[in-house]
Amino acid sequence: MAATGRLTHKAGASPIGAVTLLRIAIVVAMLIVWETLSRSGWLYRDVIPSLLTIAKALADLFTQRGFYFDLGVTAAEIAAALAIGGGFGLLAGLLLGANRFLSKAFESYLYYLGPTPKIIFFPVMIMWFGVGPESKVALGTLSCFFPAALSVAAGMRQIDKVLIRVSKSFRANTWQTVMKIYLPAMRHPIINGVRLGFGVALIGTLLAETKLSNKGIGFQIINAYSTFDMPRMYAMLVVLFVLAIGVNALIGRLGGLSSIRRV
Amino acid sequence: MPAEPILVVDDVVVGFDTAEGPLIAVDHVSFDVRPGEFLSVIGPSGCGKSTLFNVIGGLLAHNQGRVAVSGEQINGPHKSIGMVFQEESTFPWRTVIDNVAFPLELIGLPKPERIKRARHFIALVGLDGFENRYPGELSGGMRQRVSLARTLASEPKILLMDEPFAALDEQTRLLLGDKVLQIQQQLKQTTLLITHNITEAVQMSDRILVMTYRPGTVKRIVEIDLPRPRSSAIVSSDAFGRYVAAIWGDLREEASRGMRDEESHALQHHETPT
Amino acid sequence: MRASTLSRSALAPKLVGAGSLIGFLVVVELLIRIGAINRFIVPPPSEIVGSFYRIVTQEHVFSRFVMTAWECFITGAMITIFGIAGGLLLHRFELLRRATETWVAALAAAPIVLAYPLFMVLFGRNALTIIMIGFVAALPPVILKTLEGIAGTRRVLINVGRSLNLTPMQQFWKIQLPAALPVIFTGVRLGLIFALINVVGVEFLINYGGLGQLINDLAERYDLAGTYAAICFVILVSVLFYMFLEKAERWLRPVD
Repeated sequence: MAATGRLTHKAGASPIGAVTLLRIAIVVAMLIVWETLSRSGWLYRDVIPSLLTIAKALADLFTQRGFYFDLGVTAAEIAAALAIGGGFGLLAGLLLGANRFLSKAFESYLYYLGPTPKIIFFPVMIMWFGVGPESKVALGTLSCFFPAALSVAAGMRQIDKVLIRVSKSFRANTWQTVMKIYLPAMRHPIINGVRLGFGVALIGTLLAETKLSNKGIGFQIINAYSTFDMPRMYAMLVVLFVLAIGVNALIGRLGGLSSIRRV
Repeated sequence: MPAEPILVVDDVVVGFDTAEGPLIAVDHVSFDVRPGEFLSVIGPSGCGKSTLFNVIGGLLAHNQGRVAVSGEQINGPHKSIGMVFQEESTFPWRTVIDNVAFPLELIGLPKPERIKRARHFIALVGLDGFENRYPGELSGGMRQRVSLARTLASEPKILLMDEPFAALDEQTRLLLGDKVLQIQQQLKQTTLLITHNITEAVQMSDRILVMTYRPGTVKRIVEIDLPRPRSSAIVSSDAFGRYVAAIWGDLREEASRGMRDEESHALQHHETPT
Repeated sequence: MRASTLSRSALAPKLVGAGSLIGFLVVVELLIRIGAINRFIVPPPSEIVGSFYRIVTQEHVFSRFVMTAWECFITGAMITIFGIAGGLLLHRFELLRRATETWVAALAAAPIVLAYPLFMVLFGRNALTIIMIGFVAALPPVILKTLEGIAGTRRVLINVGRSLNLTPMQQFWKIQLPAALPVIFTGVRLGLIFALINVVGVEFLINYGGLGQLINDLAERYDLAGTYAAICFVILVSVLFYMFLEKAERWLRPVD
């Protein structure tokens, strides 16, 4: 075998990298600052509770049946919002992506209405759907329709045109072309659309819950706020954020993408 | 006695409406292709050869004339014609074997049969061992071979190729040309190759159709009387050189017309502000 | 001949789009008038349009707009300064970047605004809360895009600098930063839009501030037509702001 040069180790590429060490250092520093602030007495009691108190509140949360009930309510609302809003978004996106005329007629409306604050529609949702979970689902649906439609439409257009010509040259019918060419070719934009859709559906649904609801995690958060049960509120927020980021990463991983993306 | 032509292109005209007005890309082109023949269509950029490719392949409608395969007029991609495109056309999300089996999947062949046939064509193009790789892991030349195998898997009567090696470097191109020749001779595959590369055309073809610059018509049809089987070694023979020179003589005039046309075009467009 | 064929084909879809929208509103108006849609849930579009004038004059829309704009401006200034500085800092210190870049990306994906009750506890029910939420939510994209812009300078441009023997400082100020500006501006644009959305949203939620609070107010007063009108107005402002930012970005990168 011919002698091949061995590439030398890049400096700093040791097993427990400097990166991990730095990360641990940063986290530890932040925890120390937190704990110091908490005990300093500068801030009103419990505005920044000690880490122990928060940990205890977290533990309490996990042992309460009510917590899981609220979690279930919120999760169901988000799932429904994703299904309805995502479903309509997919259809709209397919239509807009497939037909240039429709795209030129309507897509800019979606494009410009997308980045707007949807929570302000909540009073309208309450009027239309009442004060129950339906209005929260409605707001979540409204939130995720736009990114879903836009990513699907864009995804369809960026398919390499030659792949469509290949499919035509082999005389594939419409169903075969959609299932074997369009959808697989669009898997990245679709996954990103789902990720984005999940993110905004989560926000829309939860914010609505904080505004007017009597169940769900959002309600519990605002409840904790109004009773000044700060440790409980922090605990809920921790759970919420871990779940939000976790699901985001999970969707990405399932779709074969590696980084967390929102934009 | 020459056999009945398998492909007849009869007085085909193709025109487009562009921003600058109507444009004739293909202007009364007629020729036949005999079964088992290797015919190259050569011409400068802008002579309409890719348009011709798309018309024969059924992806583009012609305005006049007719195209017939074994006597049957085409209206859309014909099942006896297999196309290999110039651009990267492998499906990046499918493995090599799933790419090659694609046309067999479409006609509903059961999986074991599909795999068996796909393996045969993968071996034919010299990619055995790579069945389970993804196109992204392969080089450009290997990907074009996958595209070729995929088209061959549908066992078309006529293989239609549009500059399949244009994006490859010269050495790869010559070697792949060898491979295609080998396959063609082995399968007695009727092949229609669109190219701008004279060496490639002379190396591989029985006849060469030289096209004029836009509007594209047939300038001349050249019989290539070099012995078969051919290999890339033939490139250095005298007869080869004479054919190349003759065809270049024909092409040069067309190619410089094309260049002048494009230069004046660029000048015009530069004057309008963006 | 050429101009008319082009504009004819470009105009038709736009007319269809606008026409469909107007047609839809007309249909809604008719359905409400004949009672098919309850007018106490959806006021007729004509009434909504009618209440615009009332809202503008009686509800001090202008001063509310100024307040929201002011909050957005401060947030925008903060994210620009800290975002670009943060991006430059992370670029400068490779180890820090490798350690924290994924965290910043995670922060960009995190629903910051959901923590608004927490911000209220920390800062009170006031403009500071609004600005802080906008700041934290809109900062990550600016940092990330700044990083992307500086790191993404084309190799060949860097080599030009090296062949001219530029010092690292010169390399940075004369090549990398100018080359990165378009991408950085994209980041600022994204941040500003996030800022607007969060600012207005939080104003609505905590019932304090300018335009967001207006909507909340009108809703609580059961002023149906007014609520719809105010929502339309805010959406309009948001859309115009986005269009303005896009124009500004295109002005900054005319070559693309």
